[in-house]
Amino acid sequence: MTTGELYLIPFFIYVFSYIFLLLRKKKFYQAFVSLIYAGFIIQSLIFFIWLNLHGLKDLMSVDWIVFFNAWVIMIVVVLFNLFYKTKYILIYITPIVAINLLIGFFTPHTYINLKPFFSNFDQAVLLTHIILILIGDSLFALAFIISLIYIFQERRIKIKKNLKLFDKKNHPFDEVFYQGKGYNLELLDSMNYQCLKIGFPLITVGIAMGIYLSSSLFKSFMIVKPIEIISLATWLIYAVLLHERVAKGLRGKKAAVFSIIGFLLIISSLSFSFYLFPEFHGFK
Amino acid sequence: MDILIIGLSHKSAEIGDREVVSKKLLTPELRQEFAKKLLNLKDAGDRPLIKEIAILTTCNRSEFIMDLSPWAVGKEAHFIKDYISEYFFAKKSVDDDLFYMLLNLEAVKHLFSVASSLDSMVIGEPQILGQIKDAYNESCEFKTNGQVLNKLFHKAFYCAKRVRTETKIASSPVSVSYAAVELSKKIFNSLSDKKILLLGTGEMGKLTAKHFIKSGVHNIYIANRTKEKACHFVEESFGMNEKNCVDVIDFSEYYKLLPHTDIILCSTGSEGYVLRYDDIMPVIKLRKQRPLFLIDISVPRNIDPEINKISNVYLYDIDDIGKMIEDNLEIRKKEAETAGELVEINAKEFMEWKNSLNAVPVIVLLRNKVKDILEVELSKYIGEKKEKDLIINSLTNKILHEPITLIKKAAVDSNEANMLETLKTLFNLDLSKETLHKKGNDNAINKECEKGKIKLVK
Repeated sequence: MTTGELYLIPFFIYVFSYIFLLLRKKKFYQAFVSLIYAGFIIQSLIFFIWLNLHGLKDLMSVDWIVFFNAWVIMIVVVLFNLFYKTKYILIYITPIVAINLLIGFFTPHTYINLKPFFSNFDQAVLLTHIILILIGDSLFALAFIISLIYIFQERRIKIKKNLKLFDKKNHPFDEVFYQGKGYNLELLDSMNYQCLKIGFPLITVGIAMGIYLSSSLFKSFMIVKPIEIISLATWLIYAVLLHERVAKGLRGKKAAVFSIIGFLLIISSLSFSFYLFPEFHGFK
Repeated sequence: MDILIIGLSHKSAEIGDREVVSKKLLTPELRQEFAKKLLNLKDAGDRPLIKEIAILTTCNRSEFIMDLSPWAVGKEAHFIKDYISEYFFAKKSVDDDLFYMLLNLEAVKHLFSVASSLDSMVIGEPQILGQIKDAYNESCEFKTNGQVLNKLFHKAFYCAKRVRTETKIASSPVSVSYAAVELSKKIFNSLSDKKILLLGTGEMGKLTAKHFIKSGVHNIYIANRTKEKACHFVEESFGMNEKNCVDVIDFSEYYKLLPHTDIILCSTGSEGYVLRYDDIMPVIKLRKQRPLFLIDISVPRNIDPEINKISNVYLYDIDDIGKMIEDNLEIRKKEAETAGELVEINAKEFMEWKNSLNAVPVIVLLRNKVKDILEVELSKYIGEKKEKDLIINSLTNKILHEPITLIKKAAVDSNEANMLETLKTLFNLDLSKETLHKKGNDNAINKECEKGKIKLVK
């Protein structure tokens, strides 16, 4: 069994857990949460076993990066769950993780052989660049989900419709999807800000490392490629957002919209990197 | 042996009339005194009309729940009603009919509905059950209740509990103040660090402010055009602990507070807008886009509705909150239909139990009669007492098993009401007070009732 096939185990657990959620019975909700955590533990075990067998060099294979991304997203969500008690975020984020795992399964296990181009130091920088960018992106993914919830919830409050205040006996599925329960605007905004505060420095360092690697590979800090332009545009959006938040106290709906645009740019930059134009990232 | 409820409520009487009654029943002493007066009511043969009584008084209703003596029939019930009516409204004519009178099944259903809060002004409100429990405890304290009212009240508590747990009648709160607090929880994560500005000294504003304090708010600023009135309002409306959370400010100064306030409650008597779009717009920048929640509970409205268009500002007026409560009232009304069925089932169960009590004296006397006959006859042949008693008991049970089952059925089934009378005649059973209250019979009757031997036969 290949590692890619092993990752199908957590994938199927995540998919199976949704059956319990869709049953819309309160007693099954705990089973749903438990299965998600079980899937996360199995995912972590597979990660560490693979790391133990192949070492860090496997990080240079494209499918491994996708699996690693899925794992980082789960860690970020589990940590947020611990700090903010935001159990419902799991409902939104797990499908993203499952999709990542499935993409990883279909992605060929091809190594990006960079030894002819990079020195050992550069290879370590590349590894750190990948890890930092993926952690930062995971945080921005979370901020994206939180922003979407914020915008839906804010709209409900603003137009005063579909806002159930009182019924406490509903299943979490109904609470989340039909009533927007479980979160208030202030909490969502604060979580969004936390994601930005932690994610932005990581992305900044990651991009700086990317520029360094680019200069090392192409002997130039900037060669005009879509990946560079989109990455810098993304960075700029998050930089403006952070500045506005700190300096002018920007928050609420505008901040949520910024987060959504930023993450859509990240998605496009990752798509450019891996699938659409791999040559632009220097993979080919 | 009939259950009788005489009372008046928000449905049958105006607040002025309800006040008259509740004033005369204000203290436990007054209630005890009146209960004793009712227990002393006697018929032409000097027999007491009422066996047991409990008095329920709330702000919306005053009710006298009674178990009548077996000899008190329809005419006596009307006599009791007239007596109560005259006691409270001596000057009013009896035709005014402020009091309603309910008998047996209707009375039981009514009490169960009241306990389940189906008859309340706000359906599903929880206080009424506590008030009924108080009425029951008081009747225990005064020793004015007995076996029937005990059972009746416990069944009412059980029914109310079932209604609460098996229907959603209590799951949707319906007060404006509660809705305002719940709405603010949709916007703010914690209310403890939030500042509230209350404009005006309206009753609704007071209730909402109190609710916010209960939810953990520590800073409430009150501004009114007349500062003295605001000070008086605080003094009158808030308790000692609540006063620590409340500050009165000059009305001219409330603009200065807008950048620091998170929630604004408006409940003034002003005819125009107190807060306009142009007042709030400049404040938003100073607030650094922090959300601002405005609740306008005044009629006519005191906050410009256009304000809701500003980003991060949320305005709810009394109609918006009312609509949310309306939904809940609808839910409660729907749930009340299901609850009504539960009440009906429980009331019928209680009435079956109560009717089966009619058979107790007949059963006891019949058993005694058979035992006496067997005693006399067996004494001729068996000398040893222990052995003789065993045979007597065994034979009595065997002989009377089927007749007793039929008697119990007859007691519950109104179609067979004549059977008890026929039995009395057939076996020459003397149900006079003297025979019934012989020491042995008394104990046997109590044992039959208390041990639950009188079970429902369906």
